[in-house]
Amino acid sequence: MDVNIVQIVLIFIVTFIAAIDQYDFLESLYQPIVTGAVVGAILGDLNTGLVVGGTYQLMTIGNMPIGGAQPPNAVIGGIMAAIFACTLDGVDTNAAVALAMPFALLGQYGVTLFFTLRAPLLEFFRGCAENADTKGITKWTIVSECILGLLFALIVTLFFIGGQAFGQQVVDAIPEWVNNGLSAAGNMMKFVGFAILLKVMMNRDMWGFFFMGFGLALIASNVEAIAGPALLILTLIGFGIAFWDFQQQTELKGAISDGGDFSDGI
Amino acid sequence: MASNEFVIPERYEDLTPAPQVDQKTLNRMALRSYWLQSSFNYETMQSGGWLFAMIPGLEKVHTNKKDLAASMYHNLDFINTHPFLVTFVMGIVLALEQNKVDTQTIRAVRISAASPLGGIGDALFWLTLVPITAGITSNMAIEGNLAAPFIFLIIFNIAQAACRFGLMNWAYKVGTSAIDSLTANMQAFTRAASILGVFVVGALTVTMGSTQINLSIPNGSTRGLSAQTVVVSNDEAENFADLAIDTETADAGTLGMTDMEGNALTAADADGNAVETGITDLGNGMSSVTYATVTETPVSYSVASTLDSVLPKLVPLALVLLLYFLFAKKNFTPIKGIVLLFIIGILGALPLGEWIPGMSWYTGIW
Repeated sequence: MDVNIVQIVLIFIVTFIAAIDQYDFLESLYQPIVTGAVVGAILGDLNTGLVVGGTYQLMTIGNMPIGGAQPPNAVIGGIMAAIFACTLDGVDTNAAVALAMPFALLGQYGVTLFFTLRAPLLEFFRGCAENADTKGITKWTIVSECILGLLFALIVTLFFIGGQAFGQQVVDAIPEWVNNGLSAAGNMMKFVGFAILLKVMMNRDMWGFFFMGFGLALIASNVEAIAGPALLILTLIGFGIAFWDFQQQTELKGAISDGGDFSDGI
Repeated sequence: MASNEFVIPERYEDLTPAPQVDQKTLNRMALRSYWLQSSFNYETMQSGGWLFAMIPGLEKVHTNKKDLAASMYHNLDFINTHPFLVTFVMGIVLALEQNKVDTQTIRAVRISAASPLGGIGDALFWLTLVPITAGITSNMAIEGNLAAPFIFLIIFNIAQAACRFGLMNWAYKVGTSAIDSLTANMQAFTRAASILGVFVVGALTVTMGSTQINLSIPNGSTRGLSAQTVVVSNDEAENFADLAIDTETADAGTLGMTDMEGNALTAADADGNAVETGITDLGNGMSSVTYATVTETPVSYSVASTLDSVLPKLVPLALVLLLYFLFAKKNFTPIKGIVLLFIIGILGALPLGEWIPGMSWYTGIW
């Protein structure tokens, strides 16, 4: 099927919006059930787009970005599935969804890499914060979003024009061990955040509470029935300990001031 | 970019509580919260978007420019919470900022309030609302019903907006009314909040830390005997009777009935049960012969299972403690920490097995 320049531009714009929407804004425009119909309309086959969007959506249920894990990317996957179903001859909606999977996986790698590489951008936010520059924060927020949107839009548009063989070449070009190393590093990045928080809150008599949280979490996450809401349960326990400590501390203080203070005439 | 790290003061310069923030500002904050993940990254996760959303309120309560800078800076701490429930944390934090609470307290309250909401939000939205609405509407779409995407968007976004705007107002109200009793015991409150904070970070190390050393080292092989049973004629059974082997030295695949002293061997059958070798005359000219075959299975030593038997999640714990040590004692900046992790990640993945002859078992440690 021949595509014209208007369709290419429209696919670019739709991907740009969906890429941003997958983490921000309405966080629902990017779902395949929506993008499928939109891409179908652009390519002149609304009904096929609608059906392939619904098919892809069913597959993604239960494969959501839970707990910071990155599932195969639904933006790239959903849009590519709709493109395949509408443009390739002899490809039904189910085959189109299967064909789109390598692209969704590529998107998953890309997102993990992008989130790892985006960390240094925070330095600009810190620079603005030091000068109480609220406009600067807005500026860098927009820049940050545009990078994400453009990246996705460029990649999907290239795939749209270049087709499926191109995507496979890109995936094959990255050595597997580099990929492994980067994703292992990305997986460890959160420890930097944890360590900074510890530095803020920790003093010498609080290590016990850190290890208590660690130990109880090991237990909770290995009990199947409560592994899902483990963090909520642990927070309740932590809250109880903190609350008890608060009461101890204030009672102590109250006892001292009650004993030593005669000036209020009681 | 600053060359020296910005120092966040313990308390704000202007300690006069600011007047109540008006409804318009709260609404602006709720609207901006839609962009919570705009700068999402693996170091501080949602911190950039969080600050972006907090700014209308921070501008209102911090008229002192230095205080605003300090507040903006510490609002860039690591935060990871559910996007649809974030306004609850925002309301609480705004109430604390308005009352000029110590910065450390605000930081501790923020992480303690934010982290558990992630799990609640996942359960409410990704595991309940989306599967139900998307499940129903995608079946409509497959039947070609054009209303499907619209119904999905409407239901989902009404729920989302109700959460964001409702929680913003409610949490701010709760936060400001509870604040008086809290400020009276500020030191104890800071301590309590920090206790909950470090407790939660300890728990997060387990629930979010998945780094593991997936390395298994070949460690010789183990010898064993496996039992097979065949039915042969009595004449042929005679041939088996004197098959004596030395189980310690015989090659793998050698058949045997007895050891060198002539005692029956004990071998494992297909189900793993121990059976004795021997010949049973079935009485019809045939015999059932149970013989043993020497087996040799390669054994590898798994680093992960050894570490897990010492303490599960030992690697995440060690990395957090190492980074804490570098940040707190060696004045490492976060960027240095990130670079260090990159180096560890790439070094760990080096395909040494392909490069060094005889090391083909090594495929990286991740």
